[in-house]
Amino acid sequence: MIELFHIWKQYQKPYWALSDVSLQISDGDFYFVTGPSGSGKTTLLRTIFREILPTEGQILINGVNILKIHDNRIYTLRRTMGIVFQDFRLMFHRTVFDNVAVPLQVVGAGRKEIRRRVFSTLQKVNLHQKMWELPSRLSYGEQQRVAIARAVVNNPEIILADEPTGNLDPELAFEIITLFKEINKQGATVIIGSHDRELIRHFGDNILFLQKGKIVGREARA
Amino acid sequence: MIEKLRFFLKVTGNNLWQFRTRNLFSVTIICLSFLTVGIFLSLSNNLRATARELSSNMSVAFYLDKNLTATAVDAIRQEISRPAFVESVKLVTPDEALQRFRTSFPELADVVAGLKGNPFPASLELRVNAKASASKEVVAFVEGMKKRPGVTDVLFNQDWVEKMQGFSRLAGAIGAFLGGILILTSFFIISNVVKLNVFARENEIEILRLVGGTNLFIRIPFWLEGISLGLLGSLLSLGLLFVVINLFPVYLGTSLGALQELLRFRYPDLTQAAALLGGGAATGFIGSATSVSKFLKA
Repeated sequence: MIELFHIWKQYQKPYWALSDVSLQISDGDFYFVTGPSGSGKTTLLRTIFREILPTEGQILINGVNILKIHDNRIYTLRRTMGIVFQDFRLMFHRTVFDNVAVPLQVVGAGRKEIRRRVFSTLQKVNLHQKMWELPSRLSYGEQQRVAIARAVVNNPEIILADEPTGNLDPELAFEIITLFKEINKQGATVIIGSHDRELIRHFGDNILFLQKGKIVGREARA
Repeated sequence: MIEKLRFFLKVTGNNLWQFRTRNLFSVTIICLSFLTVGIFLSLSNNLRATARELSSNMSVAFYLDKNLTATAVDAIRQEISRPAFVESVKLVTPDEALQRFRTSFPELADVVAGLKGNPFPASLELRVNAKASASKEVVAFVEGMKKRPGVTDVLFNQDWVEKMQGFSRLAGAIGAFLGGILILTSFFIISNVVKLNVFARENEIEILRLVGGTNLFIRIPFWLEGISLGLLGSLLSLGLLFVVINLFPVYLGTSLGALQELLRFRYPDLTQAAALLGGGAATGFIGSATSVSKFLKA
């Protein structure tokens, strides 16, 4: 369970990127966070990932206050999560395989297991034929899929995705969200930041509307 | 564990290759620094060995008055034989001394043939045991014997032993001083090269953090990189030292005469070679560890 209590975040005075955001996301939920550019979607996801610290408020994940985890121990939290960044954050001098294998390597997975899981994940995002390519030789959309594969390869409990379909054509975008949906069905909590209304309408079980850092609406379709 | 090790080695290898120009530069600096240390070390080795050789063969010759009676010579001999450091005492008669001269200097045979009598005095040759060589006790004894009636002169090679030991210490000190400065330079160069490498891989470090990499996991490849650079540099310096030791005598020829013996190099022994390699690895490790720790949060 992810619980946010009165989260405030200010990068620069007098603007608030997040204003008094409180939220509860249960295990296994599939969430869309939507809103116009600058509404705070990315800040909210990065706060949950503890990449940035809120100015005020508390965040509990499975009862643990993640803001109190020491920097040295933050990896324990990160290993339970997978994140897709808006700017992908790929290692451009490493192959697609190496990029996707990294989350498995940091936990010391075996060589065979790494090969098997990376290959099957790349198959799911339809990139298995390009696994020995460098990301710089891939299209924008393909790079995005590499980032998605890296986020899901170690079957994390929580997946955060910031505009994961932003550069994909509608058909592929549909396939990617279907993939997230499948992972969600296996038990992972998925939170996607997106402003693609079509996708949200089709897949959105739970939708959170943000505007100027504030929650302005919620929708839950059981 | 094996998978992690494989990962670290792969990342280290990739990084060494990716930034090969600057890495080659640091390997060269390390190599030259350790070569300097190595050259002075092998020079010092030679001087120390020469000093050891001299002191193990250390002997004292007591030249006797020509007018001494056999009883008086015997008395001096007994007196000389008494100290514990004496290994043996041998009487060299004037005839034996003349014979030795003939053997040692055959080119002066004409001069010897022209002599009316035998100019060489009898002498007592004392051999000092190796443990006591050049000790204060021996020096005091020799000084005392110089004043003894019946002894006209004393020849003692202790000065040379001390000189050799002094030269050896000097060579060692120069090597340590120059080498120390150069190794310190290497340390800063490695530190800065690794810092540049860390800068260049800032993005990668960030990604490793975001996917749950520990600080140790992120640091190890940089440490390995520093150790590899240091090891490679010192290994190359040992190779170059081998070349220098073999080529230097050829370059010098025989022009320096006796001085050539002093300027000879002796190969570092296994312990010294291992210390040079270990020093290289340690320099690399410390250089990289300090720069990485500045960049990564604790």
